[in-house]
Amino acid sequence: MARTVSSKQTANSKQLNLRICHLYPELMDTYGDKGNIIAIQKRCEWRGIKTTVTPISIGDSLSTSHFDFDLFFFGGGQDKAQEVVGKDLQTKAKVLKQAIENNAVLLSICGGYQLLQNYFKTLDSVEIKGIGLFDAHTQGSTQRMIGNLLIEALVNYSTESSKLVGFENHSGKTFLSSKLQPLGSVVKGFGNNGEDQTEGAVYKNAFGCYLHGSLLPKNPQFADYLISKALERKYGTIKLEPLDDFIEWQAHKAAINKIRS
Amino acid sequence: MDLQLSLAILVGKTIGLINKLTGSGATAAPGLYALKIDPNLIKKLSGKIEFGNVVISGTNGKTTTTRLTSHILPAKYKIIHNRQGSNLLRGIASTLIKNTSIGGKINGNLGLWEVDEATLPQALENLNPNKIVLLNLFRDQLDRYGEIDSVRKKWQTSLSKLQRGATLILNADDPGIAYLAKDFKGKTVCFGVEDKKLDLPQTANVADIHNCLNCGSKLVYSTVLSSHMGHYSCTNCGLKRPNVQVGASHLKFNPDFSTSFDLSINNYQLQTTHFPLPGLYNAYNVLAASALCDNLQTDHTRINQRLTDFQSAFGRFQTIEVGTNKKVTIFLIKNPTGANEVLRILSLKSNLSVLVALNDNFADGTDVSWIWDTDWEILTPKIKHLAVCGTRCWDMATRLKYADFKLSKNNVYEDINYSLQNSVESLSENETLIILPTYTAMLEIQKSLNKIGGVKWHEQ
Repeated sequence: MARTVSSKQTANSKQLNLRICHLYPELMDTYGDKGNIIAIQKRCEWRGIKTTVTPISIGDSLSTSHFDFDLFFFGGGQDKAQEVVGKDLQTKAKVLKQAIENNAVLLSICGGYQLLQNYFKTLDSVEIKGIGLFDAHTQGSTQRMIGNLLIEALVNYSTESSKLVGFENHSGKTFLSSKLQPLGSVVKGFGNNGEDQTEGAVYKNAFGCYLHGSLLPKNPQFADYLISKALERKYGTIKLEPLDDFIEWQAHKAAINKIRS
Repeated sequence: MDLQLSLAILVGKTIGLINKLTGSGATAAPGLYALKIDPNLIKKLSGKIEFGNVVISGTNGKTTTTRLTSHILPAKYKIIHNRQGSNLLRGIASTLIKNTSIGGKINGNLGLWEVDEATLPQALENLNPNKIVLLNLFRDQLDRYGEIDSVRKKWQTSLSKLQRGATLILNADDPGIAYLAKDFKGKTVCFGVEDKKLDLPQTANVADIHNCLNCGSKLVYSTVLSSHMGHYSCTNCGLKRPNVQVGASHLKFNPDFSTSFDLSINNYQLQTTHFPLPGLYNAYNVLAASALCDNLQTDHTRINQRLTDFQSAFGRFQTIEVGTNKKVTIFLIKNPTGANEVLRILSLKSNLSVLVALNDNFADGTDVSWIWDTDWEILTPKIKHLAVCGTRCWDMATRLKYADFKLSKNNVYEDINYSLQNSVESLSENETLIILPTYTAMLEIQKSLNKIGGVKWHEQ
């Protein structure tokens, strides 16, 4: 049976706790992706759900005790940072992939998304190894894909909107293997590669995409989906208490109108 | 006689005249067309300037530093300055044409150029300056400029091609700027803030540099002043913040948005310097301008005196009376580091009435993600009345909601003019409205304030 989580209930039920891991926060933080962490924290706080955010960066060990992270976030960074992070990520690959197999939730954006794939091949054919969480690869290109990006999500996260909206800024073109499910199809913008109309990738509860903006604040349905999936591992099916998202939906719609104008 | 150049000047001047007659504000147009006729126009004209050319660039503070310099320099300098802020090549060309006679004679003896970060390499090649001031490099409009690492690499390459006689004036506290001395053949002068601690609240850090530019190891900071600016050293190769020739200590940020500090130039301690500009970012502008003016043989007493009566450019902190006994103060915000510095200063106050105007036009940057890298949270307890406007007002409203501002939908309007009038109306007597606009929003606010009336703008 689904449980509705509200701040009022926490007095007599055990307080729910969401453990967030922010991967390489100081290096992969170029495009305002921090807003995603803020959105998750605030949307939990408003429902009386406790959150903790643990930064994990270069040289930190992601040991097996970290299996209890419910949600991982991995943002975008500059090319140079991406090289350093790519190397270090290899030491954490096993634990991170296992956490995903155990249904932990992960949201990765741009540079983070690319490093979780099989490899990134730069324009001068240097291959940066990924960790193969997503069966996909990225190829450097001379085309900078910049602008507002609107996609139709393949899974409907709420009745309010079936769309996700953000801002993309990348030159790498990502190609998914035939088995990997994209996050959505491009309505306007470039998405994964500007060629096949796909955007992002989904493997179990791990998501990758090119949507900055920040993504979660103005796509509150997706934020809540990630939160409930992350809580579900520990607490069973969760029905989150609805919030007044008037302002968020206005931002969502304004961004869509901007793209369509 | 150079026919190509003469024709270019003539065409530029004609377009300038038409602009003037039609009241057009297209200040870059004369330069744009003149450069098509003679692509070497800037090289040819700027090369004739008696005391040569000075170039000022960086993410934040170009306009203020250039204006400070022109305000401080003694009368012997007849300055040619792209005052209107058109800081691309075409703007430089327009300014040169305006100050050149049809016969090619230059009216002025020093070129003072504010240059866009992306244009700096071309500007250096064309102007061949003898002084270059580099202020800072932060993430800014990534949709337009790309990554700051690649901007810096281009700067470094073009600086290495400059003549040996040139002087490079660098911000010692920004490791990415100080590092530019490396391949430069001429003389280097550094400026910086000597204080170990500032009397300002901390903001969430949005540093763009974490690792040594020389060897890639981790940089450690004994003092973080703002973003990646501070007192740093490399844990591996020994690179560290260079000693400064022009330094500020005992910084004091006053409640009336003025600032004072002890300025020292070449180990010579001046009297306490006081200037009517707020915040750490303006302290750096003052340091940069002082270093440059000293390098242009300006008397130290004059530097100190002229700093006290400076008036800033439109929007870069300016207070204007609106109606009776009401005021507005405008702080341009355009990137996280600059905006954070503004918020740090504002958070020293309380009971603020604030209007934020967020546009996403090309000149603002079409990506509004940066508002999530900006620490609005430090302002939350200080605000009495808040309104939001601009093309992306709902993105801004969302950001502020997540910083725990209680925002009603009646305080969010796309229409800047309407929102501004509302905010001014809701002011009590003797109250000041703080306006935080992006660039094109600032231009709209200027127009609106003209409409409200009674407002006289300083000649830009």
